Amino acid sequence: MKDLDIIIIIVHNRSGHVHDVSTAYVITKEKMASVAEMYDVGWEEMRDKLRKWREDNCRNSEQIVDVGEELISEHASKLGDDIWIIYEQVMIAALDCSRDDLALTCLQELRKQFPDSHRVKRLTGMRLEALERYDEANKHYDAILQDDPTNTAARKRKISILKAQGKSTEAIRELNEYLEQFVGDQEAWHELSELYINEHDYGKAAFCLEELMMINPHNHLYCEQYAEVKYTQGGLENLELSRKYFAQALRLNNRNMRALFGLYMSASHIAASPKVSAKVKKDNMKYAAWAATQINRAYKLAGRGTKENKCSMKTVEEMLESMQITMS
Amino acid sequence: MGEVELSCRAYVKMYLHACLFPRCSINGLLLSSSPTGGAVCVTDCVPLLHSHLPLAPITQLALTQVDVWCSQTQQRIVGYYQANACVSDNSPTPCALKIADKIAEQFDNAVLLMLDGSKMSPDYRVPPIVMYERKDSRWILKDKHTIMLRQWEETRAIASQMMESGDHTLLVDFDSHLDDITKDWTNQKLNTKIEELASPANGNI
Repeated sequence: MKDLDIIIIIVHNRSGHVHDVSTAYVITKEKMASVAEMYDVGWEEMRDKLRKWREDNCRNSEQIVDVGEELISEHASKLGDDIWIIYEQVMIAALDCSRDDLALTCLQELRKQFPDSHRVKRLTGMRLEALERYDEANKHYDAILQDDPTNTAARKRKISILKAQGKSTEAIRELNEYLEQFVGDQEAWHELSELYINEHDYGKAAFCLEELMMINPHNHLYCEQYAEVKYTQGGLENLELSRKYFAQALRLNNRNMRALFGLYMSASHIAASPKVSAKVKKDNMKYAAWAATQINRAYKLAGRGTKENKCSMKTVEEMLESMQITMS
Repeated sequence: MGEVELSCRAYVKMYLHACLFPRCSINGLLLSSSPTGGAVCVTDCVPLLHSHLPLAPITQLALTQVDVWCSQTQQRIVGYYQANACVSDNSPTPCALKIADKIAEQFDNAVLLMLDGSKMSPDYRVPPIVMYERKDSRWILKDKHTIMLRQWEETRAIASQMMESGDHTLLVDFDSHLDDITKDWTNQKLNTKIEELASPANGNI
């Protein structure tokens, strides 16, 4: 069974305050119809939805809580062995929505069934994280690592704690150490790139994205993010690299609007630079013109019909025009 | 320095933006349709990003597009807002200061607004915002008494109500627009909803 090793998350975030547990939960329970009633689905569909969200690693925690809670409370007996992985999925989603009551219920069932499991111990740790009892959580993870030093999940949770506490430098250091051992862990490389971006260390962020592109050369998002980082670093060489990678992202997915705009902007800036040769200027004006045409076409297609979208289209048209004027 | 007034529409959309992406840092631009001089009236806002805030291309693109839209609709960019993912720290990040600086180049009385995530629960009575203004090339905390939210109770009620009925899912920020360009980052539909909820007797929303 696939290990539910979800993205490293900062458990203590805004949602804990926005979804005020004490009042909101009581109100919603009384007001809302059941999920099954509202969407006219049977328990099998609900179970299948949960599976799909697990496989796609979605973080739609509010939905998972809604569907999962109902499935568990009303159809537990029908779920067979699936129920344990559902308990785990719902528990993590519940923590993400500050539903400690639901999280505890799920955890207790899992503890009863798997009393010595490291996997459940990690869930216990996550609940402590959600309650901001970081020292206790760390003790749990250290205990797991004593028993099993190769346990990647526990190591990642420890790094999440550092991140939640705002200790970015330590989180970065620990994550680097982790990646020396587990070089192919995409999720970790991506997390590290995000940490570097937030620290404005674009050179190192670029390095992480290079690793990701090596591991996964067909992922247009990595190419596009790499291009954005290069663009942010600035300077002619980086701009040219960014243009190349925006173009690559477009080759992999020709509907990536960020890549299209990125291509337009990077080519325009290169063409406008006094340091480039006449040929480079001409080439980049061609790329920019191509991109502008594609952008206009995409917006015309999108704008057909509604009044609101015509506004976007007009804005883009004017913007492209004004940028052309500054270029020539 | 000067007084700043925050309209219901601007506040509600900022709040809903923060609610829509509670686990991310989010940011956006504050707009005004009032003539300059006197108090700064923030009459609207445009939600921008919920990922990779420090990266340049999309921010530049958004600023340019919003600028163009503003000149088409007699508005101007008068400020910037941000909410950090980590609720324990709501101080402006370097990228917030950078963007706010850029806005201040075009508008003297620009404001920088940080949303305080830890104060956003429905029962919190005070606006969860901290404002900064520019003085001697630095951003300093603004005196609370120069910040006005007319009809705060009503604004707060509208924001809560819309969140609970799931209206925050209707909000489109620039990031979402780029994922699907048929979505409207000026949020006309949401504006209409907010107007409907605000009391008809209140002329200046």
